[in-house]
Amino acid sequence: MSQGEFRAGAFARPTFKSLISRIVFMHIVAVAVVAIFLPLVLFWLLNSEVDQLHRDAMRAQAEVLAERIVPQADGTFAFNLPDSLRGLYSDAYGRYQYDIRDGEGRLLFSSVRRTGAAAAVPRLSETISGAGVTRIIDGQTVRIQVAEDLAHRDVIIDDIISNFFRRVGWITIPILLILLATDIIIFRRALAPLWKASEEASNIGPARTDIRLPTEQIPREIMPLVTAVNQAFDRLEDGFRVQRQFTADAAHQLRTPLAILRTRIETLGDGAARQALHADIEAMSRIVIQLLEIAELDTLVIDPGETADLRAVCAEVVGSIAPFAIAQHKDIALKGTDAPVTIHGNAVMLQRAIFNLAENAIKFTAKDTSVDVVVDDDGAVRVRDCGPGIAETERELIFQRFWRADRRRSDGAGLGLSIVRGVTDDHNATVAVENLPGGGAQFTLRFRLADKAAIASSLPAHSQVRTG
Amino acid sequence: MRREPCGFTGNAMRLLIVEDNAELSRLVAAGLAAAGYESDIVGSAGEAREAVSSVSYAAMILDLGLPDGDGLSVLRELRRQMEPLPVLVLTARGGLQDRVQGLRSGADDYLAKPFAMEELVARLEAILRRPGQLLGRSLCLANLVYDTESRQIFVDDQPRIISARETSVLEILLRRQGRVVPKKNVEDHIFGLEGEVASNAVEVYVSRLRKQLAEHGAKVVIHTIRGVGYLMAEEK
Repeated sequence: MSQGEFRAGAFARPTFKSLISRIVFMHIVAVAVVAIFLPLVLFWLLNSEVDQLHRDAMRAQAEVLAERIVPQADGTFAFNLPDSLRGLYSDAYGRYQYDIRDGEGRLLFSSVRRTGAAAAVPRLSETISGAGVTRIIDGQTVRIQVAEDLAHRDVIIDDIISNFFRRVGWITIPILLILLATDIIIFRRALAPLWKASEEASNIGPARTDIRLPTEQIPREIMPLVTAVNQAFDRLEDGFRVQRQFTADAAHQLRTPLAILRTRIETLGDGAARQALHADIEAMSRIVIQLLEIAELDTLVIDPGETADLRAVCAEVVGSIAPFAIAQHKDIALKGTDAPVTIHGNAVMLQRAIFNLAENAIKFTAKDTSVDVVVDDDGAVRVRDCGPGIAETERELIFQRFWRADRRRSDGAGLGLSIVRGVTDDHNATVAVENLPGGGAQFTLRFRLADKAAIASSLPAHSQVRTG
Repeated sequence: MRREPCGFTGNAMRLLIVEDNAELSRLVAAGLAAAGYESDIVGSAGEAREAVSSVSYAAMILDLGLPDGDGLSVLRELRRQMEPLPVLVLTARGGLQDRVQGLRSGADDYLAKPFAMEELVARLEAILRRPGQLLGRSLCLANLVYDTESRQIFVDDQPRIISARETSVLEILLRRQGRVVPKKNVEDHIFGLEGEVASNAVEVYVSRLRKQLAEHGAKVVIHTIRGVGYLMAEEK
């Protein structure tokens, strides 16, 4: 399924591959919404606060006016507006007004000159803000009302409100953006263990099925995923193990029938047919052994502290394969250093690799020529033959399982060099192939020397320069 | 074509084959019979224990995968009872661990299936020739016979004289005929703990031995595996 099809399904809803871009997107939406609504809410709160302030101020003024109402002996009231306030309530100023009424609502005093007592509320412009207090003065109810014309509102307060957006309101946007940046940093840090887990996961392959994702430092929310993935790996590892075990078991099971076949052939009388059958059985037995070696190689984990004497291994291989070479009128010799060469590795696995190389070389070297196994004190082994050499184009192919240069040959399944590659891979060693100037192929395996210092000190001075 | 095994002393030597595959055990018995050995066949660990306790066998050929248990447990039991019966382990298990474990459990030799009958007989005779074992005296190759007790050499049944050190070389190469004997082993065999030995001493003795064998008309050849050792085989 292509990405396009998938996107089409999720119409109008952006899909993000990255968790962080998803968070950024959601955050930007949230910032936009907040950037619009927060100032509006603040503006409304500020306004209602200002209104409240006004009402309180009006009430305070009404109380001041109430103190100026003096009861007269005749039961009426006198009202002495001080000069300091008179200006405020003047028609000329036109901002404040007051009405003072008695218990029945009759107008006693007013800042507005008016005929009659019709107007219950002082008539100013459309928008007014006012407050009133009721006092019992000398047994009579008096109601004092003060109003302010909002069209003439306090300039300072108006300025604060109208400047709010310009001066203060914009600050919400950078604050929200800083918050966004902080969130991204927090998320990146929170995701760091996941990056580490991904790196670990990239090492998992058919050869290393034992690795699991680290569970320490993984956020609890993601833990179920990591655990589930690890459990999936467990099941995969089991699957691989079953597969390898099958190869090993199959090879094992073939051994007894092969032994029967071989022994039966040997009871036949001498003859060309018997010789041929014998050779076939030899080849088949060798394939079965190689399959077992591969199955074992697939499960092998070399102890990093394990060391082996490369020269001793090569001596054993040359010794064990010499009868095979002699039978084919070919020769094999061990050359190079006489001293032990201690390298990191498993002796049995090394022996298999070098055996397969030597076997291959004997197979291809010409009759009456020699295969040389040369051990260097720098941890290299060279296996040289006097055969046709290996074409440039085939130098990588030869290490593949079941690859054979000449498919008409029936003396092998093409497993030997894949075992060599498997062993060198397991040993962090290298294998190189080249053709010799005088004809023939040379395979060079380079292993890591163990405990270099100790070996260097036991060698003559000129060798130290080379190995050190 | 039944033949007497080389160095056969005349006493009947019975071998015990412990192998659960009837076809294979029958064929092995037939192969051993052709080489001059009589054998009894049992198919389980239980029968093997019984057979060993009632009959004195010269050697046992033991398969490891048995229906009623591991062949290695039979082997360990024998060795716990200080039973010196030579045991050649024969198994379908060729794995690294199995090989090591088999030898550690007290097997005298180890042969993985499929094997060549010729090799089975050779290995069997090698363990039977070990000190204290029944097949004691003679080592043979082609027309060459060597009596290990009198240290006499016969070519075509005629006694021949070969010098002492060369005879030592001949003995060790004959004991492991068809296989490479490391030069160090040859050296130790000739000189024992005599101390410093000239580095080319072994080469010198081997080349003298070659010359003497050729003079006496022995149809054997000593191959030099450079850097490793020597291998003695029938001349072809």
